[in-house]
Amino acid sequence: MRSTDFPWRPPLTPDWSDRLAEIEAVIADAGKPDYAAIKTLANQQLGMREQLRIERLAKKLQKPELQDAAFAPVTIGLLGSRTLSYLPGPLAASGLARGLIVSSVEAHYDSVASFAFSPANCFDRALDAVLVVLDESAFASKRAVLDQAAEIDALGDAENLVAALAAAAQEKTGCPAIIATLPGDVQVSSVELATPGTSARFRHRVNLMLAEGAMEGRWLLWDQAALASRAGLENWLDPVRYHAAKIPFSIDLCPLAADNIASILATMKGKSARGIILDLDNTLWGGVIGDDGLEGIRLGQNSPEGEAYVAFQNFIMSLRDRGVVLAVCSKNNDEIAREPFRSHSEMVIKEGHVAVFQANWSDKATNIRSIAETLSLGLESFVFVDDNPAERERVRQELPLVSTVEIGDDPSFYIERIAQSGLFDHLSLNKEDVSRAESYGGRAAAAEIRAKIGNYEDYLTSLEMRLSIDPFDAPGRSRITQLVNKSNQFNLTTKRYGEEDIRAMEDDPGLIGWQVRLEDKFAQHGMIGVVIARKGAKEWSIDTWLQSCRVLERGVEQCVMNRLFQTAAEAGVEKVRALYIPTDRNGMVSDFYTRLGFQIDKENADGSVEYCCDVTDYEPHRTFIDVSLAERTLVSGDA
Amino acid sequence: MAEPQAILEKVTEIMRDLFDEYDGPVTMETTANDVAQWDSLSHVRLMVMIEMELGVHFSTSEMQSFKNLGDLVNAAAKQI
Repeated sequence: MRSTDFPWRPPLTPDWSDRLAEIEAVIADAGKPDYAAIKTLANQQLGMREQLRIERLAKKLQKPELQDAAFAPVTIGLLGSRTLSYLPGPLAASGLARGLIVSSVEAHYDSVASFAFSPANCFDRALDAVLVVLDESAFASKRAVLDQAAEIDALGDAENLVAALAAAAQEKTGCPAIIATLPGDVQVSSVELATPGTSARFRHRVNLMLAEGAMEGRWLLWDQAALASRAGLENWLDPVRYHAAKIPFSIDLCPLAADNIASILATMKGKSARGIILDLDNTLWGGVIGDDGLEGIRLGQNSPEGEAYVAFQNFIMSLRDRGVVLAVCSKNNDEIAREPFRSHSEMVIKEGHVAVFQANWSDKATNIRSIAETLSLGLESFVFVDDNPAERERVRQELPLVSTVEIGDDPSFYIERIAQSGLFDHLSLNKEDVSRAESYGGRAAAAEIRAKIGNYEDYLTSLEMRLSIDPFDAPGRSRITQLVNKSNQFNLTTKRYGEEDIRAMEDDPGLIGWQVRLEDKFAQHGMIGVVIARKGAKEWSIDTWLQSCRVLERGVEQCVMNRLFQTAAEAGVEKVRALYIPTDRNGMVSDFYTRLGFQIDKENADGSVEYCCDVTDYEPHRTFIDVSLAERTLVSGDA
Repeated sequence: MAEPQAILEKVTEIMRDLFDEYDGPVTMETTANDVAQWDSLSHVRLMVMIEMELGVHFSTSEMQSFKNLGDLVNAAAKQI
């Protein structure tokens, strides 16, 4: 119930309560609710109150008439030596986040032995799984310290009990048993593991026994011990509540425990992820390949950031070893995006490991659809990984079935976030699984983009973008210089100017120098564009137009161009001229000026193209950005 | 020490969330007997929610001694 327990989930959206109320209203009217929206609501960092409300909603959704094909119904039996009564609510809630409708049937308190060894059946119906959570006392009575024989006997008894429980689950309810491992406990000495008869040693040996049995397929495992160490043992067990209510783990961790169990249930229902879709820049390496080049990106080379990306790539490869298909989805030129895979010595993931490679300038939701179609997998089989929160938001909005992990912005935490999400949880692996990723073919083929997705405009509006256009000034000088000298892809003329040149432009009345900054509800993107135009009395010509590739397809260029023509009109200018000089990097903007309403004036022998647009012919573009233009720009524009 | 009345208001909010079917009064004299949904299970949950929301911690003996909401509120007030 603490938001920090679910770092892989997106934060709570401000309209969460309203959305939930809408769904509740639909159900109250005996209608069918929107299950994708329900999944979206359940899969956020819920506070205590939201958790309560989702639990109530989940309970309502258990009604047979509300079942939906998108959600798999699961019925789980709960059998414990302590009370598991706090699990059904959270189990149902976390089930929703994983595409399951989980109903729980609780065994009466203390029915472990009768279920295992007598004909009595504490569950009155067929189940999908029986979860067995025992504590140490359920396995064995006290053993004297140093009594090795007693320890071995107790271990034998424990194995008999678990085997009997698994057999009873199969016979009485027709399903497998999921046995919980034993978390650690306080330790008196540092040699507890090496001292026969101690609790620590017994727990350890029981856990190994449980693991062996699971490996042999006798039962399934819930690694409660692993989760408890992740949460911290001092948080896991709440001694006050343990003594007051016999709760095996702290009640505020129930949602986390339930989610952990739900990931096993999702796996049993075939809902675990089969593919991972990866962004490239600042996801697989630091920096932007199109701008920084092969030598400039940060990957390996003993830099802390570079090593974090290498570790992340190794982790991705370990997923691939378990049968997860890799796909790439990046806003990049295809050739440039493939360069590191082919030529960077520190790349762990090679082109041949990637089944589908989508590097283009279309929006990611469209590309993800193409990837899913190419691999013939449903959207719910994919996990999307991107460092850019706006891209994640867009994919969440457009494709709620895709699992978009909140990986944060530090590569050192990418692994943890993805692993903890449990999205790639699996039951025992077989050889088929291991070779599955190969079977999709490491062709690194690019899928063809299908129809464009609508409501992009809604998305742009929802970003609440604010653009500021300011004249060149001293504070902006170094970043302007950096952009002018580093930008390669979204750069129409690739003209380079030193810091002194830029300084001179600040006071040049014959020139417009604009620095463009963008912020949206997710981030301050800082300076993302530079425009330099030379002013004549009747004609202006655009000398430099460049933008950062981090914020593409936001309508930034339309906005700035609108402003440029407005300024030109106010100054009584008749024509604006522009130039495109092709390089091996800037193919993405080859049609920039025609897209923005210019006519081709002249095509030169060196490949460059001259454009022109009459100020009176210019039709302002529709934009979704709030623009503020510094006063001084207008003044200098009039000068 | 915080005002018991202010704490009671917060506790009331939590009660309304947890016991959504109860719309009777919440006062210092309220006990579990007054609220149908307030059983031993939801009691533990209520305690945890109050502890988390108010940032307090009740000892084992304190919890055992609460006779009504007023006892709880006063115990919390001593900690804030």
